[in-house]
Amino acid sequence: MIGKTLGRYTITAEIGRGGMGVVYRARDPLLNREIAIKVLSESPLAGTISRDHLLHEARAASALNHPNICIIHEVGEQNGSFFIVMEFVEGKPFSEIIAPAGMSTETLTRYGVQIADALAHAHDRGIVHRDLKSSNVALTAEGRVKILDFGLARVTEKNDVNSITQSIGSGSSGLTGTLAYMSPEQFRGEPTDHRVDIWAFGVMLYEAAAGNVPFHGPTPFALSAAVLNDPPPPLPKSIPAGLTAIIQRCLAKDPALRYQRASELRAALEAIQSAAIVAPETSGGQSPRPTVLRSLHHIRVKPREALLLVGTTKGAFLLRSSPSRSHWEVGGPYFHGDAVYAITFDGRDGRHRLWASTQSVLWGTVLRSSDDFGKTWRTPEEAPIRFPVGSGLSLKNIWQITLGPDDRPDTPYCGTDPAALFESHDAGESWSLVRGLFDHPHRPRWVPGNGGLILHTILLDPSNSSRMYAGISAGGVYRTDDAGKTWQARNKGIRVTFSPEKYPEFGQCVHKFVFHPARPERLFLQNHWGVYRSDNVGDTWEDIAHGLPSDFGFPVLLHPHDPDCVYVVPVESDEFRCTPEGQLRVYRSRNAGRTWEPLSSGLPQRNAYETVLRDGITADSFDPAGIYFGTRSGRLYGSRDAGKKWELIVEGLPPIACVKAAFYGLSDGQQRSSVCSRPRQPGRRKKPGSARKARRKSR
Amino acid sequence: MSASRMILRETPEAAIGDPMSVVFFIPGPLRSFTNGSDRVVVEGSFSTMREALSALCASYPGLRHRILTDQGEVREHINLFIGNECVRFAQGLATPVFDGAEISVVPAITGGRRG
Repeated sequence: MIGKTLGRYTITAEIGRGGMGVVYRARDPLLNREIAIKVLSESPLAGTISRDHLLHEARAASALNHPNICIIHEVGEQNGSFFIVMEFVEGKPFSEIIAPAGMSTETLTRYGVQIADALAHAHDRGIVHRDLKSSNVALTAEGRVKILDFGLARVTEKNDVNSITQSIGSGSSGLTGTLAYMSPEQFRGEPTDHRVDIWAFGVMLYEAAAGNVPFHGPTPFALSAAVLNDPPPPLPKSIPAGLTAIIQRCLAKDPALRYQRASELRAALEAIQSAAIVAPETSGGQSPRPTVLRSLHHIRVKPREALLLVGTTKGAFLLRSSPSRSHWEVGGPYFHGDAVYAITFDGRDGRHRLWASTQSVLWGTVLRSSDDFGKTWRTPEEAPIRFPVGSGLSLKNIWQITLGPDDRPDTPYCGTDPAALFESHDAGESWSLVRGLFDHPHRPRWVPGNGGLILHTILLDPSNSSRMYAGISAGGVYRTDDAGKTWQARNKGIRVTFSPEKYPEFGQCVHKFVFHPARPERLFLQNHWGVYRSDNVGDTWEDIAHGLPSDFGFPVLLHPHDPDCVYVVPVESDEFRCTPEGQLRVYRSRNAGRTWEPLSSGLPQRNAYETVLRDGITADSFDPAGIYFGTRSGRLYGSRDAGKKWELIVEGLPPIACVKAAFYGLSDGQQRSSVCSRPRQPGRRKKPGSARKARRKSR
Repeated sequence: MSASRMILRETPEAAIGDPMSVVFFIPGPLRSFTNGSDRVVVEGSFSTMREALSALCASYPGLRHRILTDQGEVREHINLFIGNECVRFAQGLATPVFDGAEISVVPAITGGRRG
């Protein structure tokens, strides 16, 4: 046949040979592509099915168009030979990639979902495979499953009961291979439907999990008896219980007790993938591996939408909303069980990247990133943020991710436990320790607070590219004016309660400090006891806590558009770190700390013993500004009017460690995180001055 | 070399400098760094757990910082076993390994995840 033509196709090679005929590789000169042709060796009319019916069936199968089904291009007859022209699939049979001990659950579910999806597609169109088996499924080099011979079983094989019986009698090995996947109703000669494919798929799943098909027998008759009467042997204990249950249900003897639809089966397999971190197998070991988190709830973020990034002690959540910010869709959880103390949105240079630090109790801390809003995360193979060998220090956690200015879009910074500042100048590929701070003579005398010895605040002065601040608990405020080469403690006026010296040069337990980009020389600071303002880039500090119910607390926040407007969330004391008197209240000053007002509308005022951590509050860039905060009890509150009225956005999350608001896609195609130097008003715009009037009115 | 003598003491039938192999059992959460393998055989000539681990991590660099701290010590909640013996209660990473050793990497407190 080689070199001959069949129809318009030129046969180039023989690929395989079986009982039903020969498969050739061929070339389609018209469309200039490789195809495969199956030529049937004998008339398929041995049974009772008419030629027209067979042609009809093959043509129906050719209508299937699914990425996991080998496409049938054409069926035809030439000189009495029946032939089928199909997609040329280069790959290995599924049967060959199943190791003797089975394949991993991750791999199995990854392929299983593709097969189930293909079955659902075909069954919805009334087409049943009837001869699904692991040798009929190919795996391409790209890791894609292709089901072969869909809808052709009755064309290519004579697997009605009479012919099976004859074949068994004649010892046909090809058919014996098929028998292991055949359903009880096929053996019984009963009418069959798409549920025979569900059974066969169950046999395949069993085979993939255990390394062997469930039913055996020394003779075909013994095999059929096992299929008809025996339960499948128990699967290895290493198979997750959920997967075992799926396989058992596929292998119910009574078709009515199986999954009735392949789409249900697909959903069940996807559920098994839930929380399973599946990394595509790559050949190069050195490149960072993308981690695909499947079957989580992913949000689909559209341009001009508001985002909230929430880090908790047991994973991260992403929330999206239209600019109205009235309804939030919650996505996640990402990094099940890992603590996320820092998360941020990087919209510089046209990106829309999420950065998250994930701390596993077992495996340590890494910084991950996602460019598709959490669907896939890049996890560095080797941890690039680490302490020098010999320093005696090892990374415990990353508490802060701060982005460099817009004109340095590849520069992020990280603040860590133990206290150190790391910087990257290649968008997070490699990191280096900021030695000026690490080698500071004060460092040996910094002491850990309750949360560890942590560097939790990093501020970059937008008016002076050489100036930067770092906040260390308990070390205090440090400032550099020479781009990180040297650092000075800047704590004059900040009180210490835990040493005999009340105003030392350093050693303060600073909890958080902020500035407004429009007035970077003025800083606001929440201390371990004490709320402070500095009007001179941190050189001296003034206590501004008068009027607050307690000057203990963790977070401090500035209004995005009003540099005089500052927010804190006091807790009762060092010993009782809960909102005073069980009242959840945010306190706001609109005159840079001279007077304070409680904001409580919509917040629980009885039995609400809450804590908001240092990065637990954030503001968006809309006008009026949205303020959001998360509590240790897993409640996330938001206000669409800068704090006048609050609404519960979601409750029942794990303890919230950090919340960040972000805005995706400004009209000029740029994105900007909430901490922006040029506040924008993408939402409703008020007339100039109306905000001030409204404020005066409310006073 | 003293390291080789140590092998001899543990496995008297082995000759000095003989190549040996140990097998590491990889827990589920780390298999994404071993191309999905739950079992990795490492061949070479090594006398201690530290050397065997170093050989393992040379082939699968993603494992290094998940098993060891920045200072090269075993993470607090990870245990390494040779057979049924936890090296934490032997000589730590200096514990001798022998040809054919079965080394398990086991999370000390399980996080509820399984491979």
